Amino acid sequence: MAITVLPPAPAAPPPNPKPYHDDADSSPSDDEMDIDSLPTTKSRTNTTIITPGQTVTDDPQWMRGHGTTAAPDSSTIRSTLAGTLQKTNKLLSVVPLRARYTPEIGDLVIGRIVEVQARRWKVDVAAPLLANLLLSSINLPGGILRRRTSVDELNIRSFFGEGELLVAEVQGLFQDGSASLHTRSLKYGKLRNGQFMAVAGVGGGAGVVRARRQIFTLQARGGEVDVILGVNGYVWIEKKAEEAAKEKEEVGINRLEQSTSEAVYSSQNDEISEATRRDIARVAGVVRVLVEGSVKVDEENVRRGYEAGLELDEEEGVVDFLNGERGARICEMVLSGA
Amino acid sequence: MPLDTSTYILAHLRLDGRRWNELRRLQAQMSTQAAADGSSYFEMGNTKIICTVAGPQEQKSGGGGRSQQDKAKIEVEVNFAGFSGMDRKKRARSDKRTSEMQHTIASAFESTLLTHLFPHSTITLNLHILSQDGSLLAACLNAATLALVDAGIPMTDYISATTVATTASYADKEEEADPLLDLNGLEEQELPFLTIASSGGEDRVCSLVLETKVHMARLEPMISVGLDGCSQIRGILDGVIRAHGRKVLEGKVG
Repeated sequence: MAITVLPPAPAAPPPNPKPYHDDADSSPSDDEMDIDSLPTTKSRTNTTIITPGQTVTDDPQWMRGHGTTAAPDSSTIRSTLAGTLQKTNKLLSVVPLRARYTPEIGDLVIGRIVEVQARRWKVDVAAPLLANLLLSSINLPGGILRRRTSVDELNIRSFFGEGELLVAEVQGLFQDGSASLHTRSLKYGKLRNGQFMAVAGVGGGAGVVRARRQIFTLQARGGEVDVILGVNGYVWIEKKAEEAAKEKEEVGINRLEQSTSEAVYSSQNDEISEATRRDIARVAGVVRVLVEGSVKVDEENVRRGYEAGLELDEEEGVVDFLNGERGARICEMVLSGA
Repeated sequence: MPLDTSTYILAHLRLDGRRWNELRRLQAQMSTQAAADGSSYFEMGNTKIICTVAGPQEQKSGGGGRSQQDKAKIEVEVNFAGFSGMDRKKRARSDKRTSEMQHTIASAFESTLLTHLFPHSTITLNLHILSQDGSLLAACLNAATLALVDAGIPMTDYISATTVATTASYADKEEEADPLLDLNGLEEQELPFLTIASSGGEDRVCSLVLETKVHMARLEPMISVGLDGCSQIRGILDGVIRAHGRKVLEGKVG
């Protein structure tokens, strides 16, 4: 039997047939044109990718912002991140495709206590550094206006212990970029009766975005469900706290004090009905599906996703886990309603 | 056992059929692990590596790193899978060669990452070697670059790395000695070679490791071929990052 030698199959083309040099030579001129035509908005209409080390501009009229660098003796601005260019008047910055959350004043965040110190807690908020929560920036039991005493310092663990979750607002930033939190509002405080999720935050990519409203109530089938979307990408879905709501209506300083003392720092979960548990799980599934489908997570989309999930279950006649094709369907339904 | 030099002279083709200045097939992916801050998968021929980045995050309390408070510390952990080499060899945690690799990678990235933006924090690189076939350190550096870009950690430029060897070990046949780019495992055992890592298009060398004896006159051509290889790899990495970025931006809705 004769042996035939087949010619070798042609090799697969390299993933990037264009050599780097061509790209580098052509990009600065392209980018300069881009800069002038860029709208001065926060929207992500610009889809040109900039990579680390790429020259953004040689023009000395521009100022360098986040994600850029310049040699001390030249006006050449170069990118340090992979992302898109953003122009704010004369300030050029590069918005990364994905990065860790960086705290900003006024952000609503969800955090987990990792350490209890003498007069403060260290809180994990998914940022490069742990955030501080001072004993003086929480609502102490027995009235909002009470002064902090040494007894409170000794009983610090009775407010928050290690591993407990809380919702807070970023009050200020330290020199090194770490955040200082406060919970001086009835909206904020310890979290219970719910489920925690960690998804992508505002750092980039899909995930939770800064929005007008981060805490909202969903009118679910089995009762009301509160959803808290922390901009750091932590999400909390809980049974609506009924007593607190009732007491808020009966305005009276005494009632307010009582709620601060009893309910707010309790770590004991209430009895949660099966219907509510299902609703919480469904909302959690929707949030996860939205993140997987690169759809931004905000009040509008979560509400729509919840309705879409119910519709889908009715259509198919089964109550099932949201993933894969079902997840893709949910994303489609959410986007078509937009 | 000069298996390469004897056959190389005949046709100027290497063991795997490449010419002297050809790279092996490079393949890379980014964001392979959703749970990590940044991650990548990198293949350079049969050398295959997964890299994940954790951080920047707060330094563990009680750590002795009091002197480096003003900038982020880079920690590297290299992990060899048991099935990665030819023989199933268990490496001790305190293996000298592994810790040298970790140190080389960490010091290379200290020169390009803008660590001063993240004081009191740590950036941890985890490199999992799934398969080793030469140019291990170079592949680790390339994989780490992709993972750090994915993690959104600012850097002045990419680090791209490769290996270069010279065909003849001795001073004879001076004219015929060719530098060889991007070695596979067999060539690495036979030939004197160096690993070179450069940052950016301007040929800034940020790491150069030479563990074997090599004739002085051969070094310069080896370095220049290595730098050329680095800029080729840089182009490929750039392509991977751009393709990934386009995919992310296309997928983003709302």
